[in-house]
Amino acid sequence: MTWSVLTYNVCDNTGKEREKAGSLAALGMTNQKYKSKSRRSLTHKLATALTMTLLATTPLAKAVTPSLTLYTTTHPAMGTEFTLYLYSADPASAAETSEEVFEEVDRIEQLLSNYRDSSELSRINQNAATSPVTTDPEMLDFLTQSGHWSRASDGAFDITVGRLMKAWGFYRHSGRIPPEGELQQLRAATGWEKVQLDPAARTVYFTSPGVELDPGGIGKGFAVDAAVRILRAQHVTAAMLSAGSSTLYALGAPPNLDGWRIVVPGPLPSHDSLSVITLRDTSLSSADCSEKNFTVAGHLYCHIMDPRTMRPVEGRTQVSIVDPSATASDALSNVIFVETPEQSVETLKKYAPEARALIVSGDAGHPHCTIFHWGVAIDSTRCPL
Amino acid sequence: MNRRDFLQSASAAALASTTIARAATPAVKPVRLGIIGAGSRGQEDLRQFLRVPGVSVEAICDIYPPRYEQVNRIAGKQVPATANHHELLARTDLDAILIASPVGLHAEHVIATAKTGRPIYGEKALGFTVEDNHNILAEVTRHKVLFQIGHEYRYAAWAQEAIRRVHAGDIGTPTHIYAYWHRNGDWRRTVPQPDPGGKLEHLINWRLYRETSGGLGTELGSHHIDMANWVFGEQPQGVIGTNSICRYHDGRTVGDNVQAVFSYSKGRRLVFSSITDNAKLGCELWIYGTEGSVQITIEDATFYFEKKKLSNAPDDSVGKTVVERGVVTGASYSTAGEMPYRGPGEKVVTATSEDPTLAAVRSFTEAVRGEHEIFADVHCGFRAAIACSVAHDAVFEENKMAIPSAKI
Repeated sequence: MTWSVLTYNVCDNTGKEREKAGSLAALGMTNQKYKSKSRRSLTHKLATALTMTLLATTPLAKAVTPSLTLYTTTHPAMGTEFTLYLYSADPASAAETSEEVFEEVDRIEQLLSNYRDSSELSRINQNAATSPVTTDPEMLDFLTQSGHWSRASDGAFDITVGRLMKAWGFYRHSGRIPPEGELQQLRAATGWEKVQLDPAARTVYFTSPGVELDPGGIGKGFAVDAAVRILRAQHVTAAMLSAGSSTLYALGAPPNLDGWRIVVPGPLPSHDSLSVITLRDTSLSSADCSEKNFTVAGHLYCHIMDPRTMRPVEGRTQVSIVDPSATASDALSNVIFVETPEQSVETLKKYAPEARALIVSGDAGHPHCTIFHWGVAIDSTRCPL
Repeated sequence: MNRRDFLQSASAAALASTTIARAATPAVKPVRLGIIGAGSRGQEDLRQFLRVPGVSVEAICDIYPPRYEQVNRIAGKQVPATANHHELLARTDLDAILIASPVGLHAEHVIATAKTGRPIYGEKALGFTVEDNHNILAEVTRHKVLFQIGHEYRYAAWAQEAIRRVHAGDIGTPTHIYAYWHRNGDWRRTVPQPDPGGKLEHLINWRLYRETSGGLGTELGSHHIDMANWVFGEQPQGVIGTNSICRYHDGRTVGDNVQAVFSYSKGRRLVFSSITDNAKLGCELWIYGTEGSVQITIEDATFYFEKKKLSNAPDDSVGKTVVERGVVTGASYSTAGEMPYRGPGEKVVTATSEDPTLAAVRSFTEAVRGEHEIFADVHCGFRAAIACSVAHDAVFEENKMAIPSAKI
């Protein structure tokens, strides 16, 4: 997947079209300088994190909002780089808003990180098999939503894969194939039904020792939803927040546009555009194997686990899913990556009928696509339906 | 049931259904909390309080109405709210009070609460002015109420272990503490517009104005002053400092950077620095002793040890002329001795890495239930806050100022 140069066409206060590539006044750059900087920066991202393409858009002959300028800020969190594209009246306001948004992202990271011993999730991992752990309503909400998607997908999505991810070497990117006996032992410590919640008492309890929660399949979406609440509370009318390659949320629309246009690139190796979708007040999550994987004897092992087989998923190339909730779309991107396309369609019909999904199966040389309410064209020459 | 239906019905009661087995939870005595001041710090304290078994929030007081809905979201229920702290304190269903209002209001809120006899978890700094601190200490003592100050690092397992070892002599005699709280941000909160007269600006960004805030030295430095007091076993006797507005010329009247040196007995010193345009150092505190150093951060602690100064073996180079980089000198000198030590250090290992604020509010809750005494008590709060109050003036005067002791 690729990320091309981010360029917006906006109108100035005379209505005359001009091209801008965002600005970041805090850097003291002119637009032109920033544009150059922006290209370099995005080229870097291309190789590291981002998986979707935001394309140049065409201005519409609508009411002009001359006072808004695009500001872009990035922030490392949750093992990736968050990027906020924010239309704001002035750089000071943009800086304040960005700071509060990323403070919220950091707060959620401190809540959910399985890399920090002092996080709330780590506290639960350390103690919940011994006795019920009292937690706060936000954490309980996170666990409740996680459990919902586990139940809805019959375990295709499961946040109890913490030890399984470590066994396969995905916790610290080392990569290994665990022996079958080890996997069988881990079955006793894996399974969403082993997590018991008592909302009235605000407790979480593991019914088996060794259970370890891994928020990787839903945590970034949860953080994006929390951050978007900050943007809404500040009456921001146009912003897009992306959590690396995982999840993005398009709030409102850039001035004079209907929404944020996102290019979903085609499967490897071409990266060419597969579909272009316009988002407004909704989220998009994607999953693919290109960023975290390892190869043994020519076989690529993907970081996305099928908790039911205890093995990395095979046969899926990439998925993209749109849903008003970033938490839901993040979880669902895992669900539809793990399930067969037919199972995914049934799951979505039953549990997320408002979602829109594009599923690429097969391999990079012979991909085939499945769609669910996608609503816009795809390049079927690259990925036949 | 689809996702939307699910979310709409996902009330706490609905989730406590037969499909979710209820694990046995030990019975604990409920502690019903009231909150005065539900801004960002009060909300974080509340999140941590709700992670303690048996704690619930039953009422809040804040003069900024948007806080009410924010608290409801954190609490997962509708929490009765008022803008009048006397109204909150008149309730009969509150067992303890969390006070997290702006520092300039602490004296009014703490003293009013102390008169009700309820236990208080009071955010730092204890009081704003010298007089406030004396008055709070006197009233809390007079009414014999439980009081815990929000110096949560006293409850961090790694800080407790590190300072236990310092007191045991692991780094020799501690003589100097260098403390940094460096950030890269303007410390400003977004203010809804329009804001005629700047009323909301001063309400929301109270930390930026000298009449309502001790600035970085109080809001951040009070933690480090408390740590130094803990290490040295006393409060500082005097302070000299400076501050300026270097980066954020936005109308604020406290510095966007502060440096202060606090004097302790026997010539010992705490050097505090806070800047807001470079976060390289973050929040860290170094305790330097005659035989080693310990670095304490908000996540961990690490010991480093000096090279041994004394040796039984005779050093025949001492006093001889040596050649260093081709220059003939008359002293025994090696540049290596001036380079910073870059070894790995010895990380402090503890049984728990629990969040310091959670550890602090858990301990407070246990104290309310009569299980033990309070560690970070009102005297601890006084000794740090009185230094902040004086330093607040000292950094503007740029003169050395004496710090008074408690009158009781």
